Amino acid sequence: MLESLLEFLIQGVVLGGLYALFAVGLSLIFGVLDVINVAHGEFFAVGGYLAFAAVVLLHLPGAAGVLGAAVGTFLLGLCVYPLLIAPLKRRLGGRPQGPLYLVLTLGLSTFLQSSLLALAGGDYLRVPPQVSGILDLGVTAVSHQRLLVLAVAAALLTALFAFLRFHPEGLAVRAVALNPDAAQAMGINLPRIFSLTLALGVALAGVGGALMAPLFNVYPAVGFPLTIKAFAITILGGMGNPVGALVASFLISIAESLSVMVIPSQWQSLIAFAVMIVMLLVRPRGLLGRAVSR
Amino acid sequence: MKTRARLTLAAVGVAALLPVLLPHPFVLTIATQAAIWALLAASWDLLSGYTGQISFGHAGFFALGAYGAAVATKHADLSPWLGLLVGAGVAAAVGLLTGFPALRLRGHYLALVTLGLAEIIRLVAQNWLEVTGGPFGIHDFRSLPGLPAGALVAAMYQVCERTSAGQAFRAIREDEVLAQTLGIDTTRYKLLAFTLSSAFAGLAGGLYAYYVQLVNPVIAGAATTSLVIGMVVFGGLGTLWGPVLGALLLYGLYEGLRFVGVVYNLVAVGFVIMVFVIFFPRGLAGLGRSA
Repeated sequence: MLESLLEFLIQGVVLGGLYALFAVGLSLIFGVLDVINVAHGEFFAVGGYLAFAAVVLLHLPGAAGVLGAAVGTFLLGLCVYPLLIAPLKRRLGGRPQGPLYLVLTLGLSTFLQSSLLALAGGDYLRVPPQVSGILDLGVTAVSHQRLLVLAVAAALLTALFAFLRFHPEGLAVRAVALNPDAAQAMGINLPRIFSLTLALGVALAGVGGALMAPLFNVYPAVGFPLTIKAFAITILGGMGNPVGALVASFLISIAESLSVMVIPSQWQSLIAFAVMIVMLLVRPRGLLGRAVSR
Repeated sequence: MKTRARLTLAAVGVAALLPVLLPHPFVLTIATQAAIWALLAASWDLLSGYTGQISFGHAGFFALGAYGAAVATKHADLSPWLGLLVGAGVAAAVGLLTGFPALRLRGHYLALVTLGLAEIIRLVAQNWLEVTGGPFGIHDFRSLPGLPAGALVAAMYQVCERTSAGQAFRAIREDEVLAQTLGIDTTRYKLLAFTLSSAFAGLAGGLYAYYVQLVNPVIAGAATTSLVIGMVVFGGLGTLWGPVLGALLLYGLYEGLRFVGVVYNLVAVGFVIMVFVIFFPRGLAGLGRSA
């Protein structure tokens, strides 16, 4: 009993690394741009395909695949603000946005997902793991690939939070999240910060996609379920709060993997949504959310 | 507005006559399915465009209607007409239940909660093998023509344009507090909007099930919601007839592009959604009017 508890706990923590990589970016984008990126999972998929292209097609080492995914999704993310969000913002002026941004990123999601389908086909592509081997922990065994996901997630998220805390550009990102008008009045270039934030957020998802490709396989819709789950995570953590998203990622992943001891595993995914709905009814601002009604 | 509504009715009329003029099975199939999608799109617009309560979960209500109808006919051996009502009833009941918590939420939060609800419905459909048949779904049950969809759209239009409920819906969308001060019971009308919208989405699901003769968990997926929202935005939010037009055109485009390549139709749908949101946020209904 205790052994299996420990085993599921470890698996949950490892899964939490992936969730965090994904959800922190989503939450950061929402906090700064006030846009829910429904297409976040498609950047995860693009990252997976870039890793496949680098490793399988070009025979580059695994690290090059991860790097390529990071750079590729970052560049793709840089285009999203100027090409899609800024024009809509200009057109709306001060009028209420209604569902328009949601619909816009939903359109982007459909567009990217089906473009991947058109370019690469619907087959499940296999990507060799970046690292091989298994770590035996006694109670359970964890593959080195999963540990790599956790380690990279920890390193990148530490770097991100350090960037937001200490780097002038990161301070500007936080200033914009707090109050865009005041930030602009202080001379911060808003479009630049918006583009940068979006690119950083989706690049985290892209790296996640490249690292998970050996575990999940790669196909066009691989990221979408993760997007939906990440919505639940960001709500639990408080929307627009990256630290909250980090905490909530681990809470959800651990709850999911422990749930296997009580309920059949095919119902596992229900937990995130049930938590989300309960959370929205009880405390809509989330665990660490700001007390603002939107 | 009035002339535009008439133009749409004319377009719907042409679409309805198309199968008579061109009695080819392919044309008939597309026209019928487009009509069913039009009903689903209009039901989304009733809740989200008209009343301003953004739902990302209409695939779930659609699936409830489809599964309700399929189960009623396949397992309980009810007539398809009764099955249609069963499906709509299940969808309406869940819609009403969603309405209560949704009273406290708005905007992004409501969208995400309803998305979660649809995901739960999809998971139940996938895993409750005894009733839903699991991933393979339910097939081979009695059928029904999809044509009542047109009449149902007309009924919905009457409710929204001719009754005080329609006015209350719009008042809630424009300014909820003001609507309240004017003596509109916003709680009641929001719940009514949820129930009506999910009931019509359920009816669309039932008609779909009887026409296509297959229901599986895929229809509860977010792609269904995405296509429907695309249709509404394409046609024009909050107009009811716009989404109908949008559904007919977008579904026609979607099926027509199959000749070019099965995957390019979805690329085009995604592209159309993005272009329309950015450049014509009021959709086809707003064309010609100053933005």
